[in-house]
Amino acid sequence: MVITILLISIYISGCRINDNANADKWLESADLSGDDDENELYENALKEDILIVYTVSTRATQVKESFEKEYPGLHVEIRDLRSPELIKAVAESVDTEKYDADVVICNDNSGTFKSELLDKGKVYPYIPHDIKENMKDGHVTDMITFLDEAELMFYNGTKYEKSPISNVWELTEEKYKGKIIMPSPLRSFSTYALCAAILDSSDVLEEAYKEYAGSELEIPDDNNASEYFMSLLFDNAVFSNSSDEVVEALGTDETEYDFGIMVSSKLRFNEIGYNLKPQYDLEPFSGAKISYAVMIAKGSKNVNTAKLFIRYMLGGSDGQGEGYKPFQTIGTWSARNDLNDGNPVALEDIRLLTPNQDYIIENRDYIDGFLSNLLEKH
Amino acid sequence: MKSLQYFIFLLIISVAITGCAKNKERSHINIAIPYSDNVQDYETNYYIKWLEEKTGIDIDVTIIRSTRSNEYLNNLRSSDLDVDAVFFGGDFQADEKAVSDFVSNPDAYDEAELIYTCKGLYKSSGCGQVMWINKDWLTKLNLDIPKNTDELYRVLLAFKKSDPNGNGINDELPLVGNVDEYEFNSCLYILNSFIYTDPYNSYCYMDNDKVFPACVDNSFREGLSFCNKLYNEKLIEYADVDKSQLCELVNSPNNLVGAFTTDSIADVIYQENPEIMAKYIHLPPLTGPDGKSFALYREYEPAIGAVINYKTDKYDDVKLVLDTMMSEEASLIARYGEEGVDWEYAKEWDVGIYGEKATIVTKNYIWNTRQNKHLCGIGPMNVPDKYLIGVTWNGVNSDTEYIDARAKMRYESCFPKETSDNGIITEINNYVDEMTDKFVKGDADINDDKNWQDFCNGYNDIADKYIYKRMQNK
Repeated sequence: MVITILLISIYISGCRINDNANADKWLESADLSGDDDENELYENALKEDILIVYTVSTRATQVKESFEKEYPGLHVEIRDLRSPELIKAVAESVDTEKYDADVVICNDNSGTFKSELLDKGKVYPYIPHDIKENMKDGHVTDMITFLDEAELMFYNGTKYEKSPISNVWELTEEKYKGKIIMPSPLRSFSTYALCAAILDSSDVLEEAYKEYAGSELEIPDDNNASEYFMSLLFDNAVFSNSSDEVVEALGTDETEYDFGIMVSSKLRFNEIGYNLKPQYDLEPFSGAKISYAVMIAKGSKNVNTAKLFIRYMLGGSDGQGEGYKPFQTIGTWSARNDLNDGNPVALEDIRLLTPNQDYIIENRDYIDGFLSNLLEKH
Repeated sequence: MKSLQYFIFLLIISVAITGCAKNKERSHINIAIPYSDNVQDYETNYYIKWLEEKTGIDIDVTIIRSTRSNEYLNNLRSSDLDVDAVFFGGDFQADEKAVSDFVSNPDAYDEAELIYTCKGLYKSSGCGQVMWINKDWLTKLNLDIPKNTDELYRVLLAFKKSDPNGNGINDELPLVGNVDEYEFNSCLYILNSFIYTDPYNSYCYMDNDKVFPACVDNSFREGLSFCNKLYNEKLIEYADVDKSQLCELVNSPNNLVGAFTTDSIADVIYQENPEIMAKYIHLPPLTGPDGKSFALYREYEPAIGAVINYKTDKYDDVKLVLDTMMSEEASLIARYGEEGVDWEYAKEWDVGIYGEKATIVTKNYIWNTRQNKHLCGIGPMNVPDKYLIGVTWNGVNSDTEYIDARAKMRYESCFPKETSDNGIITEINNYVDEMTDKFVKGDADINDDKNWQDFCNGYNDIADKYIYKRMQNK
């Protein structure tokens, strides 16, 4: 019996060692140091298969089109998923050793990307050396953050010339019941990140209440200021599946909503006639910072194409390449210090919370439980 | 000794019973199922296996390669093919009359006992036509989504003249349409900016509880005149394109099409084409010159999902299988796949694609994709609306159900308060469709008063038989 157990343990250890050895072998051969020559990458990419890109951003399809024109003979398949589904798909691709993900573009603010993919070694950073020096501080770490956005408050531009509110506590007033539309935080990573950041900001909300009401906040039950604020906000809110629905609900002339919360890049829909008005100066916050990472998936079978695609998507050496242009739209902020932001108002001029990923990861059960309780009551 | 004898006796009986149980053959039936690209293997299909286990009946599948259901049923009637039931769906659609003829003379069964419906492809009612426009072209040309017919005209003109696909060739098709099915008829969509135009109720509308024919109204004429103008200026590729050509044009990587209309976007854009899907955005209902806008309201009758071969000698077994397929439990598998793997019941806080509280969460989206969990809408099923409306978004940005739901919700405020219940009266619809085609293409001059009057007179003669008499008798 003991010998059997011993033999089984040795076998399992052997498998694990083998797994790790295979992973190390892949990492070694992939050489993600960033010291690649573009022409060599292209030559080697031509010997590879179709590049599979998992992305939360539909703008990646525009990158695909221009990439394929720029590099004839290379082909890209886009798998366009929302963050939770994307993370699950990429994790499964690695766990089952199918390795059918090459490039991963995902929102990285809810902590899930970090805890489920990055920390478990299922995605790796890659940044060409000549682009690295042009990236803003904090954008090249164990994750490559290639784009900054915000989960932001918007108001009805048809009804209001300027926003009727200046303090977040006004959103909890009876007159706005059913007039605020936002994605469900348990389905949208960006909204989850905002809600988590709010839960981590009780002090600022208490201060903001004093400014709003002229008196101290009296919090019922065992709540803190954040929880109380969130419960009142959720009472007034209508929940959608995505920011796209918020655009379609808020940005039209016939809208019944006064406010919406959505990712800032949706401002680009104003180019085709929607009327979305961002609010940048709400006390104490107008939203939360979010960002997008681009990584290479562990076990990628098309590493050269993946590297070339990432190089291209980041705009190339001087940032003037076509690949970054689809992301340089209003409502976005560049990750490069040699490229202008898409948005006319700088990120630092907007009152935004910064979601703390460690707080989110450590308090995930609490955050999930709190939000699902609120949504159930709603 | 007696105990031993008793024991041996019991032993023998037990062995005999076990032997019988082992030797008893399961009943099996043969079902003819049309081939579908979306079903990997009928032999190992999860849903077929589930039905076999549930009913205790083995199901042999004969694959139908033809798309001509009438011919198939005729052959079945005149032959001794060992087929106990025939399923319909996909490209093998049942013709009501052909099915009715097929079952019309059985010795033993009523028609109702032989025909099974398929309800669950769409929710029971909603907007029957949405216009989709090329958002990339709008952005490239700095244009807004058109909100009225004048703006639509200007946008289509810009699509035609300004080379939005950027290839230097004047190959853009601003608006495409097809007359094979009403959902693809872009002129019909435009007419709804002038007057409520409802081909599913013989082009009649209701006003203060009274039925009025839309197509003899002056607003209808104005709408046709507008469509004729679009046609003359080559802003609409209309009627000369069949459905498969329409799909090829829209799905072309050459980026050729500015706008089209459809009921479901999945009817035109392939699910595996997310790049093309990402190019198009729905229009809100267009306002006409009188400031009106209407959205076509449609009720979807369940299709015919299956018919039992009246010659079968296994009627009870076939009925058991088909009745089982009509249960909610089976229908959810038929629609969404394996519970717990492909879908699960929604949590309290989930939101459905139509904005209501959710009922189903899809974990693994397999509808309209190549898979082996169900028959992708082939055969009978009966999915309650609460699931069709209450399914959550699966997180795939190119999910056609979600894209459709968002579009259709925009149109709901433009539904008429009520619709007439005429249904399609073939003679009327054929006449109006034919004349509309002529007017749009200029084969009959819409601006000529005599032509218009002749059309109205012709319509009234037919309507007299069906609609006006009915109105008088109410």
